[in-house]
Amino acid sequence: MEKGKKPALDEKEIIDGCLRGSSVSSRAMVDAYGNLVMAVALNVVGNRQDAEDVCQETFLQVFRHLARYDPSRSFKTWLLTIVYRRSLDMIRKKRRFSEFSARARFEPAVAERGGNPHPADPEPLPSALLTKLSPRERTALCLWANEGCTARDISVVLACSASTARVYLFNARRKIKALLENDHGLLQNS
Amino acid sequence: MAFCKIVDVIYVALPIRPLRAFLIRNHMERCPECQARLLSRAEAGRLFVSSDRVGMPVDLWERISSQAGRGTPVPEAPPNPAGAGWRWAAAMGTAAVVAVTGFWLLREVEKPGFGPGFVGAADRFQIDYVNVGGAPAQTFVYQPQGTDTVFVWATKNP
Repeated sequence: MEKGKKPALDEKEIIDGCLRGSSVSSRAMVDAYGNLVMAVALNVVGNRQDAEDVCQETFLQVFRHLARYDPSRSFKTWLLTIVYRRSLDMIRKKRRFSEFSARARFEPAVAERGGNPHPADPEPLPSALLTKLSPRERTALCLWANEGCTARDISVVLACSASTARVYLFNARRKIKALLENDHGLLQNS
Repeated sequence: MAFCKIVDVIYVALPIRPLRAFLIRNHMERCPECQARLLSRAEAGRLFVSSDRVGMPVDLWERISSQAGRGTPVPEAPPNPAGAGWRWAAAMGTAAVVAVTGFWLLREVEKPGFGPGFVGAADRFQIDYVNVGGAPAQTFVYQPQGTDTVFVWATKNP
């Protein structure tokens, strides 16, 4: 199958094939959902390099734990849950690294022992405004805006109640709107 | 408008999620004025990278397949006959070693020093007298039943 084309197999066939260990089905899954996973990871994590790592780890986890997927639920939501968790792990890892590299600036011995900082991430978040949101708010907004998810879908991904997901989404929409109006003046009040 | 402000003040002043969700569900999501202060779906969509514009990494599948071992189909875990054979062989070998060792130990029991022949030696045990501090001591001789061990206990006479 060529990359980028719609898979010839449907979702159930892909999942069944992956459960049997078929490499064709595994490839079809990556082709079918790779863009979705990559987009969500990029929007949550904030740079392409880390998003690619998240994407890779997500599919590895999917293949390892596909037997745990409940077919009565949405596969896309299950997949998004994994992307979100892997993205959070990446953010935490980066945060720990930032703390370490900040310490290394003051302690040269630490840097000499292997605290070589990463080069600056070449592709930051599409909109710097999104850095004003927490990862949960960013994920909620991304899923709502890009994937058309409802508060209930978002609550499954974020592992919280629908009410909480609604609050995250509302806060994100309000914060960004206020920032756009006050700081950037890009949008006009209707 | 005034009601919207009151709702807004309550929302900000009381960071209780169930209350906030209630306010959102029952007022803010329905009120056009409150909605105007929120980012629309179209506006939000412009801030994010969409899945049709993101572009997958070229070598994503290669990276995944090399780590997951998906280049070739994974067999559905039938029991490995060769492994089972080795396990049986190991079990039989262990049983054989135990049997031979047991047999050898039992044969040793028949030899002098461990059998009834040595009981005669215990019978030949003899103490004429025991002195403690230059004076004859009170002496006790014990032989536990069924063993060839002999204990001698001597205490100074009072």
